[in-house]
Amino acid sequence: MEVGSSNSSGQLSGRAVDTRGKHRIHAQLNRLQQEARFLEEELELLEKMDNASASCKEFLDSVDSKPDPLLPQTIGPVNTTWDQWFERPKEAKRCGCFIL
Amino acid sequence: MSVSELKERHAVATETVNNLRDRLRQRRLQLLDTDVSKYSAAQGRSPVKFGATDLVCCRTLLGHTGKVYSLDWTPERNRIVSASQDGRLIVWNALTSQKTHAIKLPCAWVMTCAFSPNGQTVACGGLDSVCSIFSLSSTADKDGTVPVSRTLSGHRGYVSCCQYVPNEDAHLITSSGDQTCVLWDVTTGLKTSVFGGEFQSGHTGDVLSVSFSGSNRNWFISGSCDTTACLWDTRAASRAVRTFHGHEGDVNTVKFFPDGYRFGTGSDDGTCRLYDLRTGHQLQVYHQANGDGENLPVTSIAFSASGRLLFAGYANNSTCYVWDTLLGEVVLDLGELQDSHKNRISCLGMSADGSALCTGSWDSNLKIWAFGGHRRVI
Repeated sequence: MEVGSSNSSGQLSGRAVDTRGKHRIHAQLNRLQQEARFLEEELELLEKMDNASASCKEFLDSVDSKPDPLLPQTIGPVNTTWDQWFERPKEAKRCGCFIL
Repeated sequence: MSVSELKERHAVATETVNNLRDRLRQRRLQLLDTDVSKYSAAQGRSPVKFGATDLVCCRTLLGHTGKVYSLDWTPERNRIVSASQDGRLIVWNALTSQKTHAIKLPCAWVMTCAFSPNGQTVACGGLDSVCSIFSLSSTADKDGTVPVSRTLSGHRGYVSCCQYVPNEDAHLITSSGDQTCVLWDVTTGLKTSVFGGEFQSGHTGDVLSVSFSGSNRNWFISGSCDTTACLWDTRAASRAVRTFHGHEGDVNTVKFFPDGYRFGTGSDDGTCRLYDLRTGHQLQVYHQANGDGENLPVTSIAFSASGRLLFAGYANNSTCYVWDTLLGEVVLDLGELQDSHKNRISCLGMSADGSALCTGSWDSNLKIWAFGGHRRVI
């Protein structure tokens, strides 16, 4: 970054302050222009996009296709580990940590 | 070019971006001909019905002496790591309820923790702005202090969330109050990629949460205080693949849907939302009006194995709604069941096989919930 000349009291000259503001605004402008390009690309994609109802159908099909241990009613196959939480522990081990 | 000319161009560019955003919003509204709950009702679907003792608290994990802030399951073998205000990570065998490790952290202000895919290391992060890695085979001293095996430093704000890349013990992603996410190489401690930040497009507020896709480990979602969620490709950090709008408050939590092609969010605006990755459509809003009309922030979410159930913790005493994601209705509140938590649920996680949900709370406990009723298999 350019450092402007300073006057006898040590203050930076107006030129250095102006340069710093200019760089920041330039960087922000670049980001905005980049953002505009991304948004235009997205708009183009949306022109050919399906309605939400197509995505909703996919969603239902996905949910219905997977077994789920937490549902009262589910498709199979059932995994034998689903009910492990209600079985007697195989062995009791001493707690391994020192604290508390 | 002079400063005033630049400022003029800046104003024009801002106007262009705002116009484009408006056009996008309008176009998306045109495409939203229905949502999941209307579509499901039209298909004649009825809500999930739980019996009074179907979902039960089958374990309470006692040991922390402060609020639990974060938890993570191993991909296998039913172990959980939790992080607490008491400045410790505890590793639990969820089946036996026993603690295998209680690690005293160098910085007590921890916000997040994660298990590595092989279950041999844990990571945590918080207000110290670093992510610390601990090997579970290291020996702790009597106080529980374990040497840090790697420190991932470089964020310029708090580390809000950390997640290992699926099946990659050497890589993890962190999200931060410095508005970026970072992909780290754990073996070298160096940044591989930075997502967002000062010089790249990305979030414009603190990033609070990340979630990886189970089906594509190159994709992850981030949620931010700027009210958006972003989809990122780890191979292309210069820009988000897509930004998802809709929330009206901080997006506190994001979670991929089990099939990896949709994701859920939870926000300070009191809603959870479901988004479609490919199209960007907001497929559903999950919102239940509170008695006094105020929006209760959503603190954390988790999907059941099929995605039919969405568990959501809220910022009040113990409420944990179980949403039927198809019908958009609350079908259960874990906070009203026997043995429920006595304070806010701050974190949720589903076990790898989907048979158990773990909840962590400000009451300092973790609880395991499973289905103990009669299951009908069709």
